[in-house]
Amino acid sequence: MVTREDIENIALLSKLFVDEKDLDSLTEEMQKIVAFADTINNVEVKTGEFDNINNLSNAFRKDEVKESLPVEEILKNAPEQAEDHFLVRKRA
Amino acid sequence: MGQIKRIHDMLISGEISCVELTKKYLEAIKNSNKELNAYITVTPEVALAQAEAVDKKIANGEEIGLLEGIPMTLKDNISTKGIETTCASKILTGYKPIYDATVYELLQKEGVVMLGKANMDEFAMGSSCETSYYGGAKNPHSLDHVAGGSSGGVASAVGGNLAVYGLGSDTGGSIRQPASFCGIVGLKPTYGAVSRYGLIAYASSFDQIGPITQDVEDAAIVFDAIAKYDERDSTSQGSKPAAPTLNDDIKGRKIGIANQYLDGVREDVKQAVLDAAKAYEDMGAEIVYFDLPELKFALPCYYILAMAEASSNLGRYDGIRYGYKAEHYNGTHDMICRTRSEGFGKEVQRRILMGTYVLSAGYYDAYYKKAVNLRGAIVEAFDRAFELCDAILAPTAPVTAFKNGYLFGEETDQIEQYLSDICTVPVNTAGLPAVSVPCGVDGEGLPIGMQLIGKKFDEKTILNLAYKYEQAEDKRIETKWGVKL
Repeated sequence: MVTREDIENIALLSKLFVDEKDLDSLTEEMQKIVAFADTINNVEVKTGEFDNINNLSNAFRKDEVKESLPVEEILKNAPEQAEDHFLVRKRA
Repeated sequence: MGQIKRIHDMLISGEISCVELTKKYLEAIKNSNKELNAYITVTPEVALAQAEAVDKKIANGEEIGLLEGIPMTLKDNISTKGIETTCASKILTGYKPIYDATVYELLQKEGVVMLGKANMDEFAMGSSCETSYYGGAKNPHSLDHVAGGSSGGVASAVGGNLAVYGLGSDTGGSIRQPASFCGIVGLKPTYGAVSRYGLIAYASSFDQIGPITQDVEDAAIVFDAIAKYDERDSTSQGSKPAAPTLNDDIKGRKIGIANQYLDGVREDVKQAVLDAAKAYEDMGAEIVYFDLPELKFALPCYYILAMAEASSNLGRYDGIRYGYKAEHYNGTHDMICRTRSEGFGKEVQRRILMGTYVLSAGYYDAYYKKAVNLRGAIVEAFDRAFELCDAILAPTAPVTAFKNGYLFGEETDQIEQYLSDICTVPVNTAGLPAVSVPCGVDGEGLPIGMQLIGKKFDEKTILNLAYKYEQAEDKRIETKWGVKL
């Protein structure tokens, strides 16, 4: 059973605000999704542990130093920046 | 002859210049995009500069490649240097990547003409394109119906002749289902066949980029151009070329039908798929029926894993480094929370919450770990199926295109929306390739699609089978939209 407290807790972990007025409807929605997810618990898994799709092995590249992305280019997308850094204000 | 080769011939014979061709498409987009809503961003300067370069080569008597000068579109989750890439989300408004995705880099080497960035469900989370911050893309066969999703914009553009082809991404059906709804061809390659570098992540162990095209030959040509090993994607492998064997004889090929794939599928869709099976028999292929009971739990298994991966992947949107940032806040935590709550749409927030839930202490073993192991069982089930056949034939979706607003109507809940992906997600869960091809038309004149599912890295077999079907039983229907050549 998903409770209002569960939703408040996972919203905090997810760094999302859930408006007080939406809490009940969201709890109900999440309960339905969890019930849907619960259907897997009726299934017996015969296979062993599985951790990698397609049994792919990592396609490593050579450990060579390559050029990094230029700082000024990266900062162009930042909402705020100062002195080659991302700027985060305490309040706005 | 496929559309790409046909246009290629027009370009080299001088019947039309690449700039003229590109202008035709840009003009068509201008006229029709208001209604189809296929494009989020149109890039005339980029397209025309690319087209001029192609014309210069032709004028100099240089040879041009098949994809050279062919106008196309990219789903808006594929990074394009200096061109806004939004994932159809408010949170990425104004974001201009500083590098190109590998697929776009490869296509630029082929001499691509890129018309613009195509609409999609926000962060590729949806099956109707309606979770887009910019509103959904419409179906070129009926404006009352959706283009499908999540690559709805690409499918609408290609189906509506506002691009010759496009690249989409498929996490749980997002290439195949909209291709099916819009009556065109969509290929979801094997996981690892096409580099994901520069594809904005939804669920990294499922995501795969692939072509959406007007015919099977085009899908093979585009696939061969992008299925290359890339050192910047640690899961990249490349794949074998598919175009050279498209026309191979399919006599004696074994095509499997899993009974469970036909469960709950609308009667006319089911009949269209069975008619296709009959057509294959007429071409000398053998149809084998079997059970694949594991399909039953593929859907919840997929949603648990995809949401878990999404909740982690979307952790990066914090309003600090790029995109939208909340205007008013008090403290860093508050700033991040407000940015995310204001920037993400409802469905994205729902999936982040659910993903966080299944990964959190106390639920991890029951949901996430269990789903991971079930995924192994699904992989094994497909392995067993492919001992009986060379490819599996199935519907792409249990129905044809939804009515606008259907998935967000009062009476439709999320689960119903998720259930509509029942035919497509098993392929992503097992990392297999599959191609959707038109196989009929319903009573309302909407296209029906079927998919051919292949063994890992065996795109060439499913494309060969799809091509032979298209040659024998072309079920594509014209739309009134866009460029007619």
